[in-house]
Amino acid sequence: MEHVLEFGRVLPAGDPVTSTAGTAALGATIRAVAAGDQDAFSRLYADYSRLVHAILLGRIPRRDVDDLVQEVFLTAFTRIRELREPTAFGAWIATIARNRATDHMRQMREQVELPDDLAGGDPIETEAFAVLEIVRALPEAYRDTLLMRLVEGMSGNEIAERSGLTPASVRVNLHRGMKLLREKLGWHANE
Amino acid sequence: MSDDYLFDGTGEPDRDVERLEQMLGQMRGSRRPAPQIPVVSGFSRTVERKTYFGVRFLGPALAMAAAVMLMVGLTWKNVPTDNGSWEVATVIGTPRIDSSVLMGEGRIAIGQTLTTDAGSRAKMEVGDIGQVTVDELTRVRLVETRDGRHRLALERGTLHAAIAAPPGQFIVSTPSATATDLGCVYSLHVNDDGSGLLSVEAGWVAFEERGRESFVPAGASSRTDRVSGPGTPRYDDTEQAFRDALDDVDAGTDPARRAAALRLVLSRARGRDAMTLWHLIPRVGAADRGLVVDALAARVPMPPSITRGAVLRLDSAALDQWWDALGLDEANWWRKWKRPLM
Repeated sequence: MEHVLEFGRVLPAGDPVTSTAGTAALGATIRAVAAGDQDAFSRLYADYSRLVHAILLGRIPRRDVDDLVQEVFLTAFTRIRELREPTAFGAWIATIARNRATDHMRQMREQVELPDDLAGGDPIETEAFAVLEIVRALPEAYRDTLLMRLVEGMSGNEIAERSGLTPASVRVNLHRGMKLLREKLGWHANE
Repeated sequence: MSDDYLFDGTGEPDRDVERLEQMLGQMRGSRRPAPQIPVVSGFSRTVERKTYFGVRFLGPALAMAAAVMLMVGLTWKNVPTDNGSWEVATVIGTPRIDSSVLMGEGRIAIGQTLTTDAGSRAKMEVGDIGQVTVDELTRVRLVETRDGRHRLALERGTLHAAIAAPPGQFIVSTPSATATDLGCVYSLHVNDDGSGLLSVEAGWVAFEERGRESFVPAGASSRTDRVSGPGTPRYDDTEQAFRDALDDVDAGTDPARRAAALRLVLSRARGRDAMTLWHLIPRVGAADRGLVVDALAARVPMPPSITRGAVLRLDSAALDQWWDALGLDEANWWRKWKRPLM
């Protein structure tokens, strides 16, 4: 069956993505953040900022991503008491990031739009931006998973733990996403 | 070929994946440190209240909050909402939007009413600035949503709002008062007769009706009813007799009982209840105003730059300066929130 596995939307109830100890630790961290603990907030940021960065990079110009990562976390802080289930944090902040990216792009359309690879603005090779544009055109779940793996350097298990997907789902997304990406790049598959 | 290298970098290297890692890896984030969380937010009840409400601490904290809100405002003032509607999600049960049952997630448009029964709760996303949770037995209508302005009408029931936005962007009308968010977390309840109760957990809320205003800080509440409008704010940790007496001062109709209630309020007010006494100055009659002024002065001395006569005349500049002396906030900030940001 061909289906896209999206963050926070396909995890069966009770699927042990995160260990009990890990869940308890995350719960404690979230409670501490809700109480205004900056250190706990920094830990949460360290653990999840790459996930948020990847999601934003797949949607908005690279020059704006770092700023919006910070905004997303501040928004998450203001709403964190709404979060009832600590294991849902990854999917929850991913949603905040997607919504923020949507708003950002809408706002940009009302202003002067600059190309992402504006000359002199970034030393990254044009080819990399061209590939990024192709990744951005992939289905959401493939795009986000690939960017976490290829840009952020997260392992499949780490992506699963942070996003709320099962490792098997992450593997499927990576496999299918990579297959599509190869096709669009005109690269010959190695399989 | 196995997907192991693609999955976690183990196994036989995949040349395409390696090439992409090298190319796209340049786009990793700058790894900035985590941003500083706003000190004033105080989103947890577990934080010691004295840290938040001590006069020495609250002023600087709110000044910082004002600065944060200003910065946030510069970024967010132009963020549009989605087609004049908000996302709505069922928390439990079967909420309705107008006559349609909400199944899981949906949207509420301007003019539509969200209704919950005894077994239902729902949650709404206020554009990009916060969330509203709607309790059981509640009717709330989306009146307005556009850049920098979102408005609900709470007809009955209870909602809980958590808003992170510049002052004045989120407003809730009730039959007897209008709550304007000044960057905060609060709950608002409306009874069937239109009376209600506002309880603020973090930040400030302005509660207003027909020119009568209450500025309610975190840890405080304000009642409201159709006749007298928003009541005098009081901290929730005051004794019950104090709160009952304040209700009589606000809404009592028996002059003798009201006078006795005022005496009780003035005698039992603590130092931090200066906030309550300050609000009382314009609410009592001229004959009683001097008593209130003296009671406030006994707790927070009147600034030398103002005169008793000016306060008795309800001179707004004098009242502002005395407010500043309470150490709760800069009056210039919270009393002028209606002005548009830069």
